[in-house]
Amino acid sequence: MNDTAILTRGLTKFYGSRKGIQAMDLRVERGEVFGFLGPNGAGKTTTIRTLLDFIRPTKGSASIFGLDSRKNSLEIRKRVSYLPGDIALYEKMTGQEILSYLANLRGRIDWKYVDDLADRLQCNLSQTIHTLSRGNKQKIGLIQAFMQQPELIIMDEPTSGLDPLMQQEFYGLVQEVKADGRTVFISSHNMSEVEKICDRVGIIRNGELVTVEDVNTLKEHAVHQLEVYFANPIPKNAFQEITGVRNVETDGNVLRCTVMGKPDALIKVIAQFETEKISSHEPNLEDIFLSYYSKGVDYDE
Amino acid sequence: MMSSVFMKSLWDQRKSLIWWGLGCAVLIIVTILFYPSVSDTPELNELLGDETSIARVFVGDISDMTSPEGYLNSQLYYLMIPLLFLVFAISRGSGAIAGEEESGTLDLLLSNPQPRSKIVLHKFAALAVALTMFGIVLWLSAVVGSVFVDMDISFVKLGEVTLSAAFLGATFGALALMLSCATGKRNLSIGVASAMGVATYFLNALLPLVDALEPLTRLSPFYYYIDADPLTNGLSILHALVLACLSGSMLIVALITFDRRDLAV
Repeated sequence: MNDTAILTRGLTKFYGSRKGIQAMDLRVERGEVFGFLGPNGAGKTTTIRTLLDFIRPTKGSASIFGLDSRKNSLEIRKRVSYLPGDIALYEKMTGQEILSYLANLRGRIDWKYVDDLADRLQCNLSQTIHTLSRGNKQKIGLIQAFMQQPELIIMDEPTSGLDPLMQQEFYGLVQEVKADGRTVFISSHNMSEVEKICDRVGIIRNGELVTVEDVNTLKEHAVHQLEVYFANPIPKNAFQEITGVRNVETDGNVLRCTVMGKPDALIKVIAQFETEKISSHEPNLEDIFLSYYSKGVDYDE
Repeated sequence: MMSSVFMKSLWDQRKSLIWWGLGCAVLIIVTILFYPSVSDTPELNELLGDETSIARVFVGDISDMTSPEGYLNSQLYYLMIPLLFLVFAISRGSGAIAGEEESGTLDLLLSNPQPRSKIVLHKFAALAVALTMFGIVLWLSAVVGSVFVDMDISFVKLGEVTLSAAFLGATFGALALMLSCATGKRNLSIGVASAMGVATYFLNALLPLVDALEPLTRLSPFYYYIDADPLTNGLSILHALVLACLSGSMLIVALITFDRRDLAV
């Protein structure tokens, strides 16, 4: 039995002379939740659409469950479901009609599970699509991806348009699929999202796979921006030379700095002073890339 | 209802089929209702019978405008009916693949285990069935009209000329589908297919005016639609076969080009 869900070798796609993705070597194991992280336009959708044979590689190859993405696409699509990014649905149909249509094209569907999904995502299937909000359309897209209960679910920006409560529900669904031994591949531009649900993360930038890391390793690399307000002005040198702390700025009774990995050492120094307020910002993608390129690579090229 | 791509495609066009069919039926019936006033005016024959008359380009080779066949051919079957079929077929053919591609639903559709070729075949089959239903509506309207004015015309021949027009429609529908499959661009497909329709119509209508060029009319699908005068002589199997083969070849090109290219997001 092949343990690899997705494997690409030197996968390259050019649109004319414009680069889509370049020499991508990606390996996703069966049973894992893999996050494909990168800013918009990095090549996430291009990679995914190549896997599904919507577009053909310029060079290299891709396979799913050992099946070639070009030659065995039909067999692959029997075993994979897909949520397109920016999903478009048939505007004049109801959710129910679309799901029946897709179910008919695929084969057998467990309708009890569909009702269960609709319930959990608070999705009304009897409404016509064009009356639905962006988030509610996304829910229909999610239901069709999950309802088939395939071996692999590929989702392009699955939480876009969902409110936080529904995002939590979605994270739960992903965990259930994983518990079932099935594989999930999601693309995202949101670090905290992939941190929550993924086992491993591949970071893509300008069409190239920068790194593939265990999500825990990534968290250690993760950079947080910290802002601390003290009751009294603090001495200028109090926060120099602390492990993992950089870009220290003191301004009267305010400290601004970036923390990489565990904040423990910093917290212990902060504890010596009377503190009024601490605020921390989620690291954005650029910060993460920065931490990967901090060895001197010009990341803005 | 939505058991296949074929059924859904057909279901999607039910409203437009009804309204377009209704409009065309009214047009045909009203046109036929004017027949009695024309059949009482034999002078028209002298006017249109003139071989150099430019009117021939729009009404065909008419020497007897006051006969039922002459009237129906000149007023409906030479230009109007094929035009209605072309508009119907081109709009559907071009929308079949490019419509879904441009609205973004093609990715979702093709993420299911369905070969691209099967989607195209289902869409073409839906187009063929819609054309047949449209043809039946046009045929019945002509029958109803002819009954109203007590016209001496065979219902079967009316059916045969309409069938011939349906073959013409299928040809241009296949052309539009082929363009839509090859390019994924709906407006481009409509534009090019319509331009081809106009050009080949005039090819067939104008060239007979010059004897030396007359054989070239065989390059026009319109020649195979109307030259054998199916309203008078019945459907020419050979000519219908030419149109069917033409449609079939374009369908094959559609399948090949669509299977080979990248799909737009």
